[in-house]
Amino acid sequence: MAATPTPLEVRNIKKRFGDTEVLKGLSLQAQKGDVITMIGASGSGKSTFLRCMNLLEQPDDGDLIVHGEPVRFKTTKHGREPEDWKQVVQMRAKLSMVFQSFNLWAHMTLLENIIEAPIHVLKKPKKEALEHAHALLDRVGLSARANAYPAQMSGGQQQRGAIARALAMDPEVMLFDEPTSALDPELVGDVLKVMHGLAEEGRTMVVVTHEMSFARDVSSQVIYLHQGLVEEAGPPDQVLGNPQSPRLQQFLAPKY
Amino acid sequence: MIDLQGYGPRLIEGAGVTIQLAVLSLILAIILGLLTATAKMSRNWFLRRTATVYTTLIRGVPDLVLMMLLFFGGQIGVNAISDMLYYNYDIDIYINFNAFAAGVLTIGFIFGAYMGETFRGAFMAVDNGQIEAGKAYGMSSSLVFRRIRFPQMMRHALPGLSNNWMVLLKTTALVSVIGLTDMVRVAAEASRATHEPFTFLLPVAVVYLLIASVSEWIFARLQKRYDIGFGGQ
Repeated sequence: MAATPTPLEVRNIKKRFGDTEVLKGLSLQAQKGDVITMIGASGSGKSTFLRCMNLLEQPDDGDLIVHGEPVRFKTTKHGREPEDWKQVVQMRAKLSMVFQSFNLWAHMTLLENIIEAPIHVLKKPKKEALEHAHALLDRVGLSARANAYPAQMSGGQQQRGAIARALAMDPEVMLFDEPTSALDPELVGDVLKVMHGLAEEGRTMVVVTHEMSFARDVSSQVIYLHQGLVEEAGPPDQVLGNPQSPRLQQFLAPKY
Repeated sequence: MIDLQGYGPRLIEGAGVTIQLAVLSLILAIILGLLTATAKMSRNWFLRRTATVYTTLIRGVPDLVLMMLLFFGGQIGVNAISDMLYYNYDIDIYINFNAFAAGVLTIGFIFGAYMGETFRGAFMAVDNGQIEAGKAYGMSSSLVFRRIRFPQMMRHALPGLSNNWMVLLKTTALVSVIGLTDMVRVAAEASRATHEPFTFLLPVAVVYLLIASVSEWIFARLQKRYDIGFGGQ
């Protein structure tokens, strides 16, 4: 065993904004093929936790180990910072993030968005990047929109395009930050379908979501966060099917 | 046809000086402006402070005063250095502080401060999510700047930039005070000698207008280029 290193491991992550401690020591381990969903009320820290995993937020404490390589930190007068930003850049290239508000680059066509990082970060030859991009566009059902600009696409199309952009990096782990929360209800299904497919083919994913059906159907592990701490964690049928804490029970109760 | 009484070639030469001066000053001002904007947004206290002193000083002192200060002060500085070289190392050189270079330096220096504010506003108008996406995909800060921040900032900067350029163009007329023969100086000399001011000043006005029109056309094309993807075109 242990032939391949764990794709992503975080230990005891702490983060405060001013006087508010938003993460009070969170850990997570994503093995290859794991789909970990994080649920919780807004303000529970789930998005911040996800953003600490690729250092879009700097955790005040804790360890981050990507593909067996721990990220080195140092303490400066601005707080705790990575010691070597080159290491961070390399680490981020292994973790693709899909954002709530898509964040496709507005001045590039969808196709240009997808080949941008593979060409400039991974230094792939353009021809190869283009071939891969067209295959991915086909997979997310957007071949016809390759030359459209993000502003010309619907939210659902943008998010599927953003997933194609993430896949183009051949990421070790995909991070999803509430990928369907900004979408009109009728557009959510297409995006979830693409994500289902990714889970089935064994992609390692960490997903912050409010889609309980997605969490139930595809996760290997569900984590319920409350006020910066893990309140309950485990397989979906346990956490979602038989919640122990009253808070989670209330969170999962139907709301009318 | 207007009779330029033999001043034609000198006027054309003067127009050349005006255009060269304006374009070189613009390039310097853009470089200084980008540096100033970056310094003002930096978290380094010293850089922020320096940039603020620069913009406050420049924007608060008349262009003409600054130009004379830099030109005469620059010559004194150069003289001091050549004196020092002569007395201490027996190196005998005389450097004439070039009026053209002084003009470019001064105008570039002045407009760098205005450009700095233009660029700072433009950088702040770029959606942070666009930059985060760059970082999240493993781009270094210089790559994020080149591929995302700069191209997206430009559409916000261009209106201010084109405004600054028009003012800069007309500011070049001040260089005659430091002895540069631009087209305004030639026209002024010719008007005095011939007592026919309109014969010389009207063509000068037309040349300025022409340069301004061409620049407006160029800026409109640039705006179109950098608006791509942002709808509304």
